[in-house]
Parts: sequence; structure tokens; C-alpha cells
Amino acid sequence: MQIHNYEKMWLVAALVLIVAIIATITYGTVGLGIAMVDDTEDTVDPGALEEEDGFDDPGVTQVGENEYDVHVIAYQFGYDPGDEVNGEIQIPEDSEVNFYVTSRDVIHSFSLVGTNVNTMVVPGEVAAITAEFDEPERYGIICNEYCGPQHHDMEGIVAVVPEEDFHLFTLEDVEAPDEVELGDDATFDVTVSSDHYDERTTTATFEAENETTGEEVEVEEELTFDGHDTAETTFTVDTDDFGTGDFDWTVTVEDEIESGSVAVLEELEEDE
Amino acid sequence: MSTFVDDFPAEAKVVRSSMYNAFVALAIGALMGILQTLYRTDVFHFISAEQYYTVLTAHGVFMVISFTIWFLVGVFAWAVISSLDRGVEDLRFTWAWFGFMTVGTLLAAIAIFGGFMSDPPEVLGSELSADVLFTFYAPLEAHPFFYIGLVLFVVGTWLAGADWFRSYLAWRSENPGERIPLPTFMVLTTMIMWYIATLGVATSILVFLLPWSLGLVDTVNPTLTRTLFWFFGHPVVYFWLMPAYLLWYTLLPKLAGGRLFSDPLARVVFVLFLLLSTPVGIHHQYLDPGIAEGFKFIAMTNTMFLLLPSLLTAFTVVASIEHGARQRGGEGRLGWLKALPWKDPVFTGMIFAGLMFAAGGFSGMVNAGMNINYLVHNTLWVPGHFHLTVGTAVALTFMAASYWFIPQLTGKQLVGRSIALVQVVLWFVGMVFMTNAMHRTGMLGVPRRTAEPWYDGFEYAGNVAEHNFQIALGGTILTLSILLFFVVILLTLLRGSKGGVEGSSIPEPLSGPDHSPAVIDNLKLWAGIAIVLVIMAYTLPLASIVERGGLFGPDGMRSFPSGNPGFLEYTSLFVQMVIQNATEVIFR
Ligand code: HEM
Ligand SMILES: [Cu+2]
Ligand SMILES: [Cu+2]
Repeated sequence: MQIHNYEKMWLVAALVLIVAIIATITYGTVGLGIAMVDDTEDTVDPGALEEEDGFDDPGVTQVGENEYDVHVIAYQFGYDPGDEVNGEIQIPEDSEVNFYVTSRDVIHSFSLVGTNVNTMVVPGEVAAITAEFDEPERYGIICNEYCGPQHHDMEGIVAVVPEEDFHLFTLEDVEAPDEVELGDDATFDVTVSSDHYDERTTTATFEAENETTGEEVEVEEELTFDGHDTAETTFTVDTDDFGTGDFDWTVTVEDEIESGSVAVLEELEEDE
Repeated sequence: MSTFVDDFPAEAKVVRSSMYNAFVALAIGALMGILQTLYRTDVFHFISAEQYYTVLTAHGVFMVISFTIWFLVGVFAWAVISSLDRGVEDLRFTWAWFGFMTVGTLLAAIAIFGGFMSDPPEVLGSELSADVLFTFYAPLEAHPFFYIGLVLFVVGTWLAGADWFRSYLAWRSENPGERIPLPTFMVLTTMIMWYIATLGVATSILVFLLPWSLGLVDTVNPTLTRTLFWFFGHPVVYFWLMPAYLLWYTLLPKLAGGRLFSDPLARVVFVLFLLLSTPVGIHHQYLDPGIAEGFKFIAMTNTMFLLLPSLLTAFTVVASIEHGARQRGGEGRLGWLKALPWKDPVFTGMIFAGLMFAAGGFSGMVNAGMNINYLVHNTLWVPGHFHLTVGTAVALTFMAASYWFIPQLTGKQLVGRSIALVQVVLWFVGMVFMTNAMHRTGMLGVPRRTAEPWYDGFEYAGNVAEHNFQIALGGTILTLSILLFFVVILLTLLRGSKGGVEGSSIPEPLSGPDHSPAVIDNLKLWAGIAIVLVIMAYTLPLASIVERGGLFGPDGMRSFPSGNPGFLEYTSLFVQMVIQNATEVIFR
């Protein structure tokens, strides 16, 4: 076969270019450790995510000193957590975050705008992607794969917050009565969980006030958690102190608040 | 010298009709193009946000399935017939594939345009719409007509390929031992690539998506159908490109006043495309979970080697043009450029198309760079890239070539040559604006395929409004360019005077086929190697995808929109039972 000299030079130059590009990418993968989203995660059943580890209770969990796992479920048309309905994803500054994202319906993406956190989200598969966050900042999450008629409404937020504003305590539940008989104790059973990996303490604060009488109480209770854990405590109000009428209460754990009001009656009506 | 229509009037009619179909698709696609451009840049909303996706589906399907492939069959039919210098073996067969492709296009169009109705009617038990974009990723579900239409269209192209192989075999029996004429060689290697590539999409539709949309099976494995789509989806981009290459290798040197530099190198290039186009599709799935990094790496290296035939093409095409210019009296290091026929819209259009392709090649290298892909995947960067490649390298070459083909196919002289020249230049200018701004907004993270890429929770870190203005401006210039294209075509058809059209013969290359070893013409050998490469690249990934997600996906997978069960559901109950039992027996 006859190949012109210029052709030969061009051919060699082209091959050098190709090999150089491949070498650069290989360096990025091996040298810099930019791993691709891959098949290391087990598959899940998109119709039964509530039974899948991590996706039964999606959100942020601390797994190491500066390391956090975030499980997210993408759906038509939002992210749980992340979007407005389910609340933004909060992580502390200077942390390493492992996102685990799956879909309960069609193919979406999970993309943090302006970063290289960008992955397809396929029902049945879990996309695992790790990123480091230094400074406090708010990143938009968007879906960049068409997923249905409201695709463009699919958005959320990953908020990187200052260390001191960050916690993983959740006020899971406050069991409170609606009404109590004068003279009985009103009891408030509070359940708090911690998604921190190590031993932590936090304070649950109970406040109650009868606006008519002006009577009020404030109690603080220290809660200790041993890793991923829940703690319970009970606050009690002696209704003799408060007298009849409604009183308002709030339970506060860090920035989580639950509140309600209780009616104190002379005599409880016997229904049923 | 005679025109194509003088030599082969009956065949010219098929070629002409194919190109007219392509033009209709181009017109529809362009209308959709400007509607969506103005919408997503927030300049003007002629449509609703939901309709945006119907428009986008139509734009994608009409541009890159209908327009490109209809034009392709026209070019390929012309190339085979004229280079073998013999008519088709059986004209009825030729019209048969034309018929398949037409019916397929219509069915898909009906399904897509159904989506414009506020309350699409039920046909065959499901809603008549197909807002699934041209990639139709399950579990988004289209109306069965959409899938059936695509299948018929592809079957039409298979039959067209058979038609050309038939011509070739007939020619071969009369010309034993002769080298395959270069244009025919290009067509045949491309069609072999196409047969291999379409196996992916045919399997995806016939085995999974169509039965699923008809309610015969309940679920699909989304990664599997997606992978089968991209098995086809990358080679299809070379399918669009090969007719443009064919024209750059044959017509362009002639127009420049010279001849092709090297026939052997051209053959090598087409063989390389046949071998390397298919085992790379996974590069569209770099960011898919459920596919091992190793498979992605292999796809990446194959993709980079696929740069080689395009780089070689750049050399040969430029060398041939320079030769042409010097034949015309051009001199000097770059001074020869002045001697080129810049006033010829066919020549200038193709050169601009080629220039744009070089730019597209660079953004393509970025896309192909596996880990860099994180930054650009599914952002507007990607449409920026492929409007340079398929949207210009291919589309502009086709439009420019139409100014040469229509006279060849009708015997009428081109009317409005200077309008045509303005048209191709406008396309170039419009694309410069649109694609440059698309690439840049993509870098800011603005997503593609999104009606309203503006959000409540955050702002992009850049001046998106200014880029949007450029995108809208570019899109408007492009629309103007398309309008001028149709003005020239219609003027030519209605007013063109008969006769005086230059002949269609292509001059012999400088370095002829006898400078290459005969083995290059061994199509069976190349087909065999291509198949082996595909098997090597895809067996393990496909096996792993099926093992992970099941052949028909996990039980919890649903369909969207899940159409109401219609009468077909009942008639298909029996078939469904049989299939389920059969799969149970085979796969448990
Ligand atoms: C009038 C000229 C054109 C204009 C104004 C235009 C505009 C656009 C815009 C703005 C998009 C991005 C939409 C989005 O992702 O939200 C797009 C997508 C696209 N365009 Fe064009 N385009 C034109 C011509 C073409 C041509 C000639 C081709 C190919 C032959 C083409 C092929 C495509 C394809 C394949 C897509 C992607 C569709 C998808 O994401 O499903 N376009 N076009
Ligand atoms: Cu989406
Ligand atoms: Cu590709």
C-alpha cells in the first residue's frame, strides 16, 4: 500500500494525540482517583424502597469523624430529601459526603450545579458518588435527564453549613395529651434520635405557659446518645399549678421545635 | 456528460422522493427547533411547558432520524447506482423499502403529534402520545405506534441496504476481480456497520419495549434497554456522518477543481468506522450506575481510537482541496485558498460544514474524556456539541449538496445561487452563535432537555441571560437560513430551466485503488472482525446488566404513563401467559 510521506507524519501525529488523551484520562482515574459511578452498590427494588437499607429512612447519617452518608430518593418531580417538600440536605463544612441516590419511578439525574457531582439515577440501581465540601455554601440540585412533563420543576438544595450550626439530632416525636383533668399530671413523652456516629449529648427543652394565668414552666433535660441511637425522656406538668384553661407547650431540640396546647378541665367528659 | 436523471430516470425518482421526504422532516424539525429555542431562553413561549417535551421529541426524531436518514438513503442510492453504473435490480423492491420507511415515519409522527392534544385519544388501549424524546428511555412509555413506526423505518433501511448489496453482487458477477468503486465501497461498509448497530435498537424495541407498551409484559430493565439503545445510538452518529464523508471524499474534490488525494486512505477510513463505531456506545453511559468502571474504560479507549479515521479524513480532504486549488492556478503557502470556488454554495457550504466539524471534534473529545464527562454530561454543552456535528457537519453538508443533487435529479438548473450562498453562510453564523453559547451555559451547569432551566433555590454562577440571548439569536438566524433553503429549492423546482446541468461523473483519485492491497475490499473479513469486536465489548456488560436487574427488570418497576388497560389487554392475556411461562422455564 502506498502512503504519502505527509500522510505518514499525520498518521503518527494523530496516534500520538490519541494515546496522549488516553494517558491523561488514565492519570485522572488512577492518579487523581476520579472514580466513575459504577456497579459496586447492590440493586434495590424501586417498588419497595421502604424496605431497603438506607432508603427506608433517607437523609444524612454521620459515618466517620468528617464523613457522612446521604441517601436520597429521586422521584417525579423532586428529591427526598433535598426539595422543598422534604427539606434541604444539610451537611457541615469540611466534610466528605457519600451520596447514595436511587429512583422510585423513572430515570432522573442528581446533579449539583457548577460541580462535578453529576450522576444518572436509574430505578433499581443505586448511584454512589463521593464529594468533599470545604466552605459553607448552598448548591442547587437539579435533574438534567428528562423525566416527565414537570421535569423542569425538579430541584433541591444541598446546604453546606458552618460546623457550629450543624447537628444530626431529630425530634422524632412528642406524645402529648389534648386534655387533662385538673389535678392530674400532663405527661409529654419525647423521642429524639441522633444520626451522629459517636457519643453525643444534646438538650431537650420543655416550655409551657398558661396565657390566662401567666403561669409558666421551663425544664431542660440532657440526652445522651451512643452512636446512631434514640433517646426518650418525659416532661411532666402538675396541672394544679396551672389551673384550668388551655396551656401552650413547646419542645425544642437544637433547631427542631414541636408545639401544641393542652386543655385542663374541671372534669373530663366521658366519651365512648 | 449526462446528469443522473438522464441516465437513470426511474432511480432518480426514488432518490428525489427520498430527499423530498428529508426536506419535509427538516422543515418540521426546524419549526420545532425555533419554538423550543425561544421557549428555553425565555424569549417567547408559543407553547406550554408540557408541550415543550412533545416539541423536543419531534425535533429530535424528525432531525436525526427522519431528515438525516431519508437524505442518506437518497445519497447512498445515488452513490451505488452511479458508481456501479447500473440501475437497481428490481424497482418494485426499491419502492418497497421506500414504503416501509414512509409508513414507519408516519406512524411515529402520529404518536408524537398526539402529544399536542390536551386529552389524547385512546388508541389500541393506550393514550396516543410519545413524549419520550428520541432516546425513549424506559420506564417512560410511548404509544405502541411510536415503537412500531421506528421498527418499520429501520426495516426499510435494512431492505435498502439489501437493495444495494444486490446491485453490488450483480455487478460483481459481471466484473470479477475488479476493485469495488469507492462510493459503493463506502456505502457497503457503512451498511454493514448499520446492520450490526441496529440489532441493538431492534432487540430493545421488539423484545422489550413494544411488548411492554402493548401490555404483554409488565416491566422492563431500564439499564438494559438504555444500553441497547446506545449500542445503536453511537454508531447511528456515524451513520449520519458517513454520507457527508462520502460527499466530502467524492463531490468536494471535484468541485474544488481537482480529485481525491488518496483512494486507499479513504477505504481505510471507512473500514475503521465499520470496526470501531459500535463497541463504544457505553461512552454515553459513563455516569450510569450499575455498569462497571472497567467497561466504561474500554469504551473510552475505543472511542479515542475512533478519532483516527476522522483525523485522517481531515488530512485527505484538505489535501484534495489544495490539489484542486493548485489545478485552478492557486499558489503560495496559503494563497491557494483564494483560488477555490467560494461563490459555489455547494463547495462553500461543505467547507463550512467541515470547519464546524473540527470544532465539534474538540468538544467531542471532552465528552469522551470519561472523568471530564462529569462536568458536561446532560448539560447544554452536549446539544452545543452535536449541533456542530450532526446539526452542521451533516445537516449543512446535506443542504449544500442538495443544491447539486436537485439539478442532477430533475435536470433543472439551480435557481437562486446567490441566495443559496447566503443560506449556507447564515447557517454557519447562526451555529457559531448558538453552539458557542450552548457550550458556555453548559459549563455553568444549565441542563439540556429542560423547558424552564431556571430555578427557585439558586442562581447560576455566570451570565446566563446573555448566553441565552445568543442562543435565541443563533436559532433565529438558523431559521432564516432554513427558510432561504426552501426558497431556493422551491424556486428551482418550479422555475428551473431544463438542461445545461453539468454531468455527475466523479474524477478518478490521484492515487487509485490499485495502490491498496486487495484485502481492503474483503467485506466479509471486516464484517467478521467488527462482529467479534462488538461481542468482546458488549457480552460482559450485557450479561452483568441482566444479572443485576433481570431480563425484564425488578418487580417493583412501573410504567410512566401507565396507560389504561384496553381491549388489547384481554386479547393478549393468553400470549402473556405463554411468555411468562416460557421465561420462567428458560430463566429460572
Ligand atoms: C433551526 C435550527 C435548529 C435550532 C434552532 C435548534 C435548536 C435546538 C435546541 C435549543 C435544542 C436543545 C433543547 C433542549 O435540550 O432543551 C436542540 C436539541 C436537539 N437538536 Fe436542534 N436545532 C436546530 C437544528 C438541528 C438540526 C439540523 C439537527 C440535526 C440534524 C438537530 C438535532 C437536535 C437534537 C438531536 C437535539 C436533542 C434532542 C433531545 O435532547 O432529545 N437540531 N435543538
Ligand atoms: Cu428530570
Ligand atoms: Cu457516542
